[in-house]
Amino acid sequence: MDKKQLKKAVEAIIFASDEPVSINRLEKLFPEVKKAEIENIIVGLNREYQAHAFTILKVAGGYQMVTKPEYHDWVKQLYAGRTRPRLSTAALETLSIIAYKQPVSRIEIEAIRGVNSDGVLGTLLERGLIVIKGRAETVGRPLLYGTTDEFLKYFGLNDLAELPKPSEIEAMLKKQETAETVVPEVSTSEASQLNKKNGEE
Amino acid sequence: MSYHVKLQHFEGPLDLLLFLIKKNEINIYDIPIALITKQYLEYIKLMQSLDLEIASEFILMAATLIRIKAQMLLPKPALSEINEEIEDPRQELVAQLLEYKKYKEIAGSLARRENFQRLLFPRGMTDSFADDGSVTVPRMGEVTLFDLLAAFHQAMQRLKTTQPQRIEIPTVSLEEQVDFILRRLQEKDQLTFCELVQDITERVVLVTTFIALLELMRRQEVVIKQKQVFDQIWIFRVHLQN
Repeated sequence: MDKKQLKKAVEAIIFASDEPVSINRLEKLFPEVKKAEIENIIVGLNREYQAHAFTILKVAGGYQMVTKPEYHDWVKQLYAGRTRPRLSTAALETLSIIAYKQPVSRIEIEAIRGVNSDGVLGTLLERGLIVIKGRAETVGRPLLYGTTDEFLKYFGLNDLAELPKPSEIEAMLKKQETAETVVPEVSTSEASQLNKKNGEE
Repeated sequence: MSYHVKLQHFEGPLDLLLFLIKKNEINIYDIPIALITKQYLEYIKLMQSLDLEIASEFILMAATLIRIKAQMLLPKPALSEINEEIEDPRQELVAQLLEYKKYKEIAGSLARRENFQRLLFPRGMTDSFADDGSVTVPRMGEVTLFDLLAAFHQAMQRLKTTQPQRIEIPTVSLEEQVDFILRRLQEKDQLTFCELVQDITERVVLVTTFIALLELMRRQEVVIKQKQVFDQIWIFRVHLQN
């Protein structure tokens, strides 16, 4: 298979899938092609997509086609009433604890949050963002929770390592305390992430 | 005329404390406990006056604050000669606040990610995000024991809700069964109890037949005989001319 054909084949597979296509899957489909080469192909495709309204995103360990944020207002109308509500602050807090401490029990989550988290856990389970990973071998054998691939997809993370490291957060908090200035806007870095991906070599 | 008081929503007592600390521009490592306790209790009172339901966690924290305040008021024991550190009664609370603050920060960054991610629409989301409640997002991947248990639970629930079966209650009268027994005894002069009831499937009919047999015995139209205990029961027709 020549390079042009390979590129088109990878594009076709990602286009046809309604889930992120994992790198492992692509490796199996094209055993003669190296991982780095596949990654190059994606970068090449995204360069071509600069003139388009969509792009390929690396999410939950795979590649997925998504529409670009600037067309959100239009696409949103297509899905009017069918998009899921935003997560509550309680849900986000609980998810943060689970993401960093998994597998973690309800008791441990509640010890950090200082409030009952039963209902929130139910919501998160229902939305498939967390799963029960098992039971702790401690008194009462409490259920242990962990995050899912759906969690990664929902937050556009490739893997858990993309979350800020605990040391980074502590440094961030320290900075806040010493210089009682406004919290730096982190969102801009996330927004530029996509553009960077499109542009980079 | 009514007033609308807009209260900031707090996720819990720790959230409220962090808010008070920020509002007063307090150093988290050196919390003026008397001030914070006062403000905290004022807030609880405000919630009470607004008839808001106060979660027990808020009350527990109020108790904790008052305990710490009391401990701070107690005279400090003199430093021992080895200069061992005297534990600050606020220490535990501060650690808890810092830990919570950390995850609140992470939650904030997740919220920003969520906001950004909501601007992107993946291909083929039509079905996976249908929010009519009937379709749940299929979770691909490993099936755990708990998934199986959940599936089993669902199946059991479904079983419970299956349509009830229609049960016909056969209508049968005592007289009908009396006639039935007599008719059978016309074919044969004698028959066993088992023969009499072998074709009967419904419980009600069986019971009625048995009562009919008792009735016939009372009328002395039949006699029942048995060779020995647990042996076949024979029913004989009593001929009226006898």
